[in-house]
Amino acid sequence: MESEHAAPSRVPPRHRPSLPPPSGDATSLSYRTDLSKVRALVLQQGLAAGLAEERATDLVLAVSEVAANTLRHTQSAGLLTIWSAAGEVVCEVQDEGVITDPEAGQRKPGPDADGGHGLWLVYQVCDLVEVRSDETGTTIRMHMAIPPSLVRIGASA
Amino acid sequence: MDLLTTSVATGDSDGGPYTLVVLAGEADVTNSGALRELLDAEVAKEPRTLVIDLSELRFMDSSALHVVLRANRTMDRQGGVLALAGPRDPVAKMLRLTAADQLLPVYASVAEATAE
Repeated sequence: MESEHAAPSRVPPRHRPSLPPPSGDATSLSYRTDLSKVRALVLQQGLAAGLAEERATDLVLAVSEVAANTLRHTQSAGLLTIWSAAGEVVCEVQDEGVITDPEAGQRKPGPDADGGHGLWLVYQVCDLVEVRSDETGTTIRMHMAIPPSLVRIGASA
Repeated sequence: MDLLTTSVATGDSDGGPYTLVVLAGEADVTNSGALRELLDAEVAKEPRTLVIDLSELRFMDSSALHVVLRANRTMDRQGGVLALAGPRDPVAKMLRLTAADQLLPVYASVAEATAE
């Protein structure tokens, strides 16, 4: 087991500033049992927004791990929302779960640990992870930067 | 259509007899219970070598990884070896990021896994 007593060096999820609303056209999907659909939507939207295949599949893994926690720790559906704006793709997962550990996922679990790999993977593959959690539920936003288009750079030169 | 399909076979090679479990499709939290039952049943037969063929696995999450690591611990206790064969990205990348590839042998193919 990872120690729960490490001195928290970060602001707890419930005391962080609220997140700005999604920008641009957002796509949403409610899920409760089928994570395959969640992964397919993230892959399709990530590729369409301009992510390279490896980055898109990284995002698929991250979102799937967070959505798996919905199935493991809550009795209700989770909501995935995806949008792209300002040079990035953002996937937001909302559910009724509560995260109390401010450093959840930020300490590397031992390779043989029986848990804790999920959120660790999320932090490893995403460019930015934002977590908000209080007694009403949890919102996790996973950001992936879209590489600048070589075509556009060429055109503006 | 099932998200994850599995098959089990036994074989014999220069390295001796082995059990081969083939996973195809997507292994995640929704089918990790079934995967656990399958691996528990095979591990309980105390094979000397258990190879899990991942070459047809398109996706694996941490729930499935934990099931594999659990089987690996039991195989260790029994004096056997659990090996993974043929993982492709993104499964191979996930095994690297979690350092699971340091914990149990990962081979490029079933042939390599059963050769020793």
